[in-house]
Amino acid sequence: MDFELNEQQNMLKTMARDFLSRECTKVKVRELEKNEKGYDPDMWSKMVELGWLGLIFPEQYAGTGADFLDLVILMEEMGRNITPGPFFSTVALCAIPIMKFGNTQQKARYLTSIAEGKSIWTLAVAERSGGYESSDLNCVANYNGEDFIINGEKMFVPHAHVADYFLVVCNTGEGKTSNGGLSVFVVKAKSRGVKTEIIPTIAGDGQCRVRFKNVKVSKRDVLGKINNGRKVVDFIMQRAAVLKCAEVAGACQAVLEMTNVYAKERIQFDKPIGSFMVIQHKLVDMLTDVEGLQYLVYHAAWLLSTGAKADVQVSIAKAKANEVYQRACIDSIKIHGAIGFTIDHDLGCYFRRVKAAEFILGDTNLHLEKIASGLGL
Amino acid sequence: MDFKFSEKEERLREEIRRFARVELAGRNTIAGMEEESSDEDWEFAMSMSRRLAQKGWLTMAWPKEYGGQGASFFEQHVYVDEASYWGIPGTSMGVSGIGWVGLSLMLFGSDEQKKKYIPLIASGDPDGVWCTAYSEPNAGSDFANIQTRAVKSGDEYILNGQKIWTSCAHRARWCWMAVRTDANVKKKQHGISLMIVDMKSPGITIKPILNYAGVHIFNEFFLDNVRVPVTNLVGTENRGWYHLMQSLAFERHSMAPQFFGSARRILEYIVKYVRETSYNGKPLASDPVIRNKIAERAIELDTLKLFGYEITWKMSRGVIPVYEAARNKAYCDFFMQRLATTGTEIIGAYSQVDMTSRWSRILGLITRLYLMFPGLSIAAGTDEVQKNIIGQFKLGLPRAY
Repeated sequence: MDFELNEQQNMLKTMARDFLSRECTKVKVRELEKNEKGYDPDMWSKMVELGWLGLIFPEQYAGTGADFLDLVILMEEMGRNITPGPFFSTVALCAIPIMKFGNTQQKARYLTSIAEGKSIWTLAVAERSGGYESSDLNCVANYNGEDFIINGEKMFVPHAHVADYFLVVCNTGEGKTSNGGLSVFVVKAKSRGVKTEIIPTIAGDGQCRVRFKNVKVSKRDVLGKINNGRKVVDFIMQRAAVLKCAEVAGACQAVLEMTNVYAKERIQFDKPIGSFMVIQHKLVDMLTDVEGLQYLVYHAAWLLSTGAKADVQVSIAKAKANEVYQRACIDSIKIHGAIGFTIDHDLGCYFRRVKAAEFILGDTNLHLEKIASGLGL
Repeated sequence: MDFKFSEKEERLREEIRRFARVELAGRNTIAGMEEESSDEDWEFAMSMSRRLAQKGWLTMAWPKEYGGQGASFFEQHVYVDEASYWGIPGTSMGVSGIGWVGLSLMLFGSDEQKKKYIPLIASGDPDGVWCTAYSEPNAGSDFANIQTRAVKSGDEYILNGQKIWTSCAHRARWCWMAVRTDANVKKKQHGISLMIVDMKSPGITIKPILNYAGVHIFNEFFLDNVRVPVTNLVGTENRGWYHLMQSLAFERHSMAPQFFGSARRILEYIVKYVRETSYNGKPLASDPVIRNKIAERAIELDTLKLFGYEITWKMSRGVIPVYEAARNKAYCDFFMQRLATTGTEIIGAYSQVDMTSRWSRILGLITRLYLMFPGLSIAAGTDEVQKNIIGQFKLGLPRAY
């Protein structure tokens, strides 16, 4: 048993913290919320140079061969700072499933291109319901004997407007079943029949609606096996959910630290407000929440890295992350008072991102249900 | 980062499981804070303490010279977790001796005290049972306010005053007591000393206080010219407050694995119960509200587990876990209440049935937890006190009281 980060992880953490605080100030975060692209190509190419995109790819695909836990540490730092852009969608939502399910050609071509910063990726799963259950997925890919023809509409696709490739989850089976009949396709964003439109969100974080009208994809572009897409989606929902939780854990740490500093500085009734028990205990509850979340995330990530079954622990981490992020932000705003409610304060940047983190890759109810099933209920 | 127990630790867990199945066969034991209440339960608990001492588990992490096994903190963690899961009586021997007296004596006791008292605790003998007397009628959360006086007279202290809420005083051979040795101090934290009091001393009167369930755990404790040899002073005179801060961290540190063990078992019982029980014509397990609540309790259980691992890991690296112990105590309190109330919602009207009745559900475990949690959350420092400690020691906030 060991809670310590190893030397490589500590180096990565320090490097990421330095880089992000320098390159990605909150001024830039706010700018990017208004910016058409939603990311800074200059910062993006620096991240490529740092080797972050290919961090966990094998060296043969231009990666650095680091392991999943290293990526968890990096995501934590990105969340702490808030790092707008398609890193999560490219690496967590697409590259990781390509590493697992891609054939040799796909891996060589796509992973190398991602590691070298030549392509941006995203995943299109959820539709009108915004959920991840197979029964809510209606987008179809019909086989015409030669190619698959995709028709349908996807919602809340992160950074689709700047992506070069999508992974698209489609129905390919006879009739809809709960765990069969889905397939995942690699689709070029520029394909004929693809229409992307930005959904204005409270975080200005570049989530899109993507419509597919008679979009032709070759059967070579399926990721994994035909009709085996649920397995791919479930795999993504585990790995990427843990990475999203790491991002949230980082964000929560930042919110806690910011609030703790403020509680010592802000004087009312001739005393720092942090000396009032009501305020102090709110902060302590936040600390307990945030430490608990961090350990749950590390534990789930560690389980995944050992190849052990981790369904319940991943869902525990995600349900906890959803709850803790929201509570930390709300309590933090209350402790800050009116200043925390202003556009110029950094807190709002975190608070406006709570819902995106909550509903991506399974909301709280979905994960509580997974935990209950995992317990044998 | 590694959350795996070693093979040795896993083997120990298996061994404790086998031990519990054999030794507790036919008994419905649950991790106990009440074994001191009835003579019969106490006798069984003490017989188990001796068995645990023979197995080398009772004080396994203590050095061999003091009757321990020099086991690692993680081995001890496994033992505490597993013993609590099975509810092996006698694991804490009235709590104080094993929980903090032994460890505190190792840190700031005299050589003579170490030699005399620590092996007694480790032996599992009734002469190794301790109680702790901190609280007084006017010193609860404001513990530095204690007024029980110890006045030096030759080679003795003369003690006068009253203690209260003294758990296990009616079973203990020795008392770990905080007294005031200097009343003329500017800060009331100064002038406090720690002493070992022989419970057989003339002038001690113990009166039971029953809790609302009719169980005898704690006592009133009166001291009328009780003579204590000066050699029973622990640590430095008037520095007791600072020794106590460490003792209290010990007291709270094992709460996470302890309650994790018993909560793990209770949650298993709840899961089994909702699978086997129907309500309104449907299995309880199919009710989405119940599924959600149980899932939430499972998240809290895992959080507690990891808090427990973390504190053990820090201790194994030589850290005295002050804020971590307070955090774990406060989290136990919070989780105990949630688990108890969820449990009562699930067993419904049967949650009010007496634990020993033939109508009680889940071995009376839920009802018992429900009755006990408010008291447990006050013992060893209230929630609010723990949060003050965390605020000051971890978040660096100004004192809030």
